[in-house]
Amino acid sequence: MAATRAPSAAPERSRSRTWAWTAGSGVALLVLVTIHMVAHHFVVQEVGGLRSYQQVLEYIANPVIFVIEIAFLVVVTIHSMLGLRSVLFDFGLSERAKRRTDRALVALGVATVAYGFVLIGVLASRA
Amino acid sequence: MSAPAGTTRRFRIFRFKRGDDGHRYDEFDVPVHERTTVLEALRWVQLRKDPTLALRHSCFHASCGTCGVRVNGREGLGCVTALADVSGDTVTVEPIANLPVLNDLVADMAPFVDRFPAPHPNVRESEFLPQADTPDDVEGYGRFEDCIECGLCLSACPVAATDDTYVGPAALAYAQRMLEEARGTDREAILDWADSEAGAWRCHASFECTEACPSNVRPAQRIMALRKELGSRKKVSS
Amino acid sequence: MSVRRGADPGLDEIRKGREEAGPVPRKGVGPVAWFDIRRRGLGHFAFSLNRITGLGLVFYLYLHLAVLSTLLRGEDAWDSFLGVATSKFFLLLDVLLIFGLLAHGLNGLRLALVGSGRAVDQQKALYRSIQVIGTILLLGAALRLMGSE
Repeated sequence: MAATRAPSAAPERSRSRTWAWTAGSGVALLVLVTIHMVAHHFVVQEVGGLRSYQQVLEYIANPVIFVIEIAFLVVVTIHSMLGLRSVLFDFGLSERAKRRTDRALVALGVATVAYGFVLIGVLASRA
Repeated sequence: MSAPAGTTRRFRIFRFKRGDDGHRYDEFDVPVHERTTVLEALRWVQLRKDPTLALRHSCFHASCGTCGVRVNGREGLGCVTALADVSGDTVTVEPIANLPVLNDLVADMAPFVDRFPAPHPNVRESEFLPQADTPDDVEGYGRFEDCIECGLCLSACPVAATDDTYVGPAALAYAQRMLEEARGTDREAILDWADSEAGAWRCHASFECTEACPSNVRPAQRIMALRKELGSRKKVSS
Repeated sequence: MSVRRGADPGLDEIRKGREEAGPVPRKGVGPVAWFDIRRRGLGHFAFSLNRITGLGLVFYLYLHLAVLSTLLRGEDAWDSFLGVATSKFFLLLDVLLIFGLLAHGLNGLRLALVGSGRAVDQQKALYRSIQVIGTILLLGAALRLMGSE
């Protein structure tokens, strides 16, 4: 076959993994967000199912819950960053802008997980 | 073209000539009858009212793909879009979207064709009557591809609306057809070409390309089939 | 494009004329095309809603982390927040959140299937099913939340 015209100048790595991570994290979120929403809005017999301060500390002190919430944080951040990436790339960015966007989103994602981890960790330690 | 007395539709037509600062819309009251098509109405305007109106057409029966336009925001071939099916007091006709305008309703199809990987065969094995006997010197029956390269799919695509690097539904559907019937093309090269951010993975499954396609190509379905094949590839190029 | 008198235009002049091509018509300015669902099909509606809810949920993620920071300031600060969060208006916002989660999550499941080449011909039926299931779940959640006052 004659040389194909690549849509962009530089050859790119396989992108099926990026999509697979987006889809996979999304499917995982269906489970994790259901657990999270049910636990925080539909379990406690208070208005809106919202937990009081002490109830939050007791909840997060449970090691299983701690792991689930951390997993939720990580997975939702991955999915969010990949989703933002997809939206931003739809603007037809240059290769340089794409690389910068990737770096910025990785930084934002790491910062988000780090902050959430600290938040959950501090609350768990107060129980 | 004759019309019952007093039956007219107001047409609002996109106008642009090279050298103009920007585009404008011109309005015409066009006599129509129950079977008038958009193309017939445009031709009436061109012949009777404004000979400078530029439009593209050829076959008058939806097989050449040259008369693609947007009618009240919706993609269609002018030759087979009946005005009886177009609602509203005013019929707005614009060139197809996401391609540069050369002149009035004529879009520059070069950027559309440039998106396709090369080579670009248009004939395939015919799937009709596989049991048919062929003459001695004929191996088998061929037919033209369904895709008439009208560009309506690219016009309808919401991703192409903001990303000119996206190869678009027609080119990706073409790539998938090359996987179905290679015709001497290199399967791996086709898959490498499609496996990019500007290729199959940019599609967001709005299926607008399939809705717009006048020729049963079903580009969205072909893109998903292409992605299935890409997803199951063992090779990860770097 | 100028034409030399007595000579053919030549390929270069034709190409030069082509470079002066006009504007590129779009369905709207920038991303407006993503959200303009007039005269568009079900798939475009699904895409638009998925995008809106996705961006909304990203915004909510950071809003939520900011709100949860109230917990770090102790019980009084959190109780003060609960006083606002249990108002009818905020409960309605919670219903909106659940709508966003259902719309994005259930359609995401459809996209995971269709986008990997599975059940492609059933994509409209899948979306209709999602709308029904999502509506039922949303109504149940809304009744539960609003009834908890």
